[in-house]
Amino acid sequence: MLEIRNYSKSYGGGKKAVDDVSLSVMGGDIFGFIGHNGAGKSTTIRAVVGVLDFTEGEITIDGHSVKHEPIACKRVTAYIPDNPDLYENLTGIQYLNFIADVFGIGAAEREARIKKYADLFEITDALGDLIGSYSHGMKQKAAIISALIHEPKLLVLDEPFVGLDPKATFTLKEIMREMCQKGTAIFFSTHVLDVAEKLCNKVAIIKHGRIIASGTMEELTEGHSLEEAFLEADGNE
Amino acid sequence: MNNGWLLLRTLLLSTSWRNILRFSGDKKKRRRIIGNAVGFAVVYAMLVALCVAMCVGYGKFGIIGAAPVMCALMISAMAFFLTLFKTNGYLFHFREYDMLMSLPFSSATVAGCKFLYMYVKSLPWHMSISLAMMIGYGWFAHPPVAVYPLWIALSLFLPGIPMLAAAFLGFLIARISAGFKRTNIVQTVLTFIFVIFCFSLRFIIEDIFRNDKVQSTLLLASQLTGGAAKVYLPAGWFADAITKTSVSDALLLVGVTMLLFTAVFAIVGRSYRNINSALKSHAAAKNYRMTAQRKRSVIHAIAHKEFRRLMGSTAYMVNGAMGEVLAALLGLGTLIIGFDRIVKTVTNGAPFQSSILQPAIPFIVYFFIGMMSTTACSPSLEGKNYWILQSLPIEKKAVYQGKMLFNMWLTVPFMAFSTLCLCVSARVPALNTALYLLLGVALCAFSTAWGCVCGVRHMRLDWENEIEVIKQGAAVAIYLLPNMFVVMGLVVLMVVLGMRMDHRLLTLIMTLIAGTLAALSYARVMALAKK
Repeated sequence: MLEIRNYSKSYGGGKKAVDDVSLSVMGGDIFGFIGHNGAGKSTTIRAVVGVLDFTEGEITIDGHSVKHEPIACKRVTAYIPDNPDLYENLTGIQYLNFIADVFGIGAAEREARIKKYADLFEITDALGDLIGSYSHGMKQKAAIISALIHEPKLLVLDEPFVGLDPKATFTLKEIMREMCQKGTAIFFSTHVLDVAEKLCNKVAIIKHGRIIASGTMEELTEGHSLEEAFLEADGNE
Repeated sequence: MNNGWLLLRTLLLSTSWRNILRFSGDKKKRRRIIGNAVGFAVVYAMLVALCVAMCVGYGKFGIIGAAPVMCALMISAMAFFLTLFKTNGYLFHFREYDMLMSLPFSSATVAGCKFLYMYVKSLPWHMSISLAMMIGYGWFAHPPVAVYPLWIALSLFLPGIPMLAAAFLGFLIARISAGFKRTNIVQTVLTFIFVIFCFSLRFIIEDIFRNDKVQSTLLLASQLTGGAAKVYLPAGWFADAITKTSVSDALLLVGVTMLLFTAVFAIVGRSYRNINSALKSHAAAKNYRMTAQRKRSVIHAIAHKEFRRLMGSTAYMVNGAMGEVLAALLGLGTLIIGFDRIVKTVTNGAPFQSSILQPAIPFIVYFFIGMMSTTACSPSLEGKNYWILQSLPIEKKAVYQGKMLFNMWLTVPFMAFSTLCLCVSARVPALNTALYLLLGVALCAFSTAWGCVCGVRHMRLDWENEIEVIKQGAAVAIYLLPNMFVVMGLVVLMVVLGMRMDHRLLTLIMTLIAGTLAALSYARVMALAKK
């Protein structure tokens, strides 16, 4: 579903923020992308979702090139950023309707999906309020619902659990598992190694812009915890 | 619904006051919106009054036929310059870029919608001018009834071409800057160069159409507009469509606008992601070595933070420091070209001694320096980061003092430089020069404190794009427009009084008045800080 081949990204000054990253996420995978702050996780994710321009390497989603067919890629992708900047002067329901309109979701379907996810995340009552009045966690929940509304084939999440309350964290994990069973590919970055260990079947560790370890959870941990595997990989570099 | 229209509708809805009034339970917010609406209504009314007065003047002197061209030129100039100042914040580097670009919109659609959003938002300004001049024209010219709907319809297209030209210039600046490491600085410098070039171009064009033998100023104005319409074709198309009810000219204006829109955004769309990636990304050098750090007082620390804020944003720098740059250029220009020659050029060789303008020097300089006060927008610019100042153990008073100190840092050196240059060039006696500098400082203090009153009273933190508070905020509009009109009047008043009174005494009186107003405004800021 998602193929990243030899992706590199340099900013001004020539220093590479991401250097020769390659990985693939198949339908049904929950792929955890872990690394220190500033390791290059968000730079990779933003290129995958078509926000960040890049010159080196190739990224394809569902067989379409992010560089050359961005719209086709975005139609099957949903992205949840780490700090959702939503339209503050729209109400929650106005924002969700906007996203549903963009993806051409029918009235009955959107109503059912918004109701389902808003109930699950317990924000149904707040949907009529302006997003500006939401807490960080509520904005995050609105962003998550907007991502799920069109049933994407690829779900990309950047630090999705930051700011969520324990119940919402549990709900999101359940939704991710459910989507994965239906064949959706999930690619997400996180600092929470426990969550990654319990949720993911594949993991990649990135350090200073380079992948230092990658594979299935079993291959990477070899009977140890993910935390131990991460620290070992980190120390070896 | 077409995705482009859907996005445009959402962009408009997301910043509409109606939506906030409808759904927000925050009474303070609702009151602020109503207050802002009243403030804008007053400013629009002032603009309408100015345009009507202009038409009455044209009508009384029998040159009402020049009104359509003048209307087209005024709207076009306003649209061009306002767009040039806003393009950076609206088309590029906006906050919700990641969210929009991750949705299935093409780059050209996002850029085009952002442009149309900017167009719709500035339409009330353009239509205020257009409708006022249409009424004036109708009153004196008695055109056929069909002219009125045609005037209104074409007015919607009038700002299109200049806005597209300015947006394209902004795009070129951003495109060039994207290739540099210090994108922000390069973008600001290029914008300054383009704006100053455009200002100069205006004078060059005017100069071409000026006829030294022409005695009547009104006739000259009529010739100028006619000449300008020949250079700037859309103004001519609009005027011919109105005065000759020419369908072909009307179609030309509409057709060219639409064609340009399609062409510009096809080009912009190609590099849009590339430019935004460069503007939003910051090179991480990761080579910092701990050096000696400086301790600052709270007020100095806030002023220093304001300086960093200004330097970090092209839109803020271009809008906040444009007056200072123009004042410095004016000073340098007079020093090189000579005060007398510049006065002769600006007044088209009117027969008077340039020395009578001497007492107006501080106000001429202040016209530029006071064009914008950073204190009018800096309280709102805190935006989502306001919590940082709120959670720190400092009083609001210190925050406002820091913001005011920074504006003084910014304005006083430029004012002093420009005043000194003008005084040297005009051979003003030393004591008078010292008094002009004193008046200049008092005016800077007034601008700073009054700007802060406007900024605090109309503080708006929930903006989506910083341009909303830098260029379109109620605080800035309420500070800027009356200030500009009053200063123009004061320049004339100083010249008139200067012919009857001792220049030193006059300057001292004005210093006293400006100083008192500055002190009163400062006291108001301190009172607002206690609330």
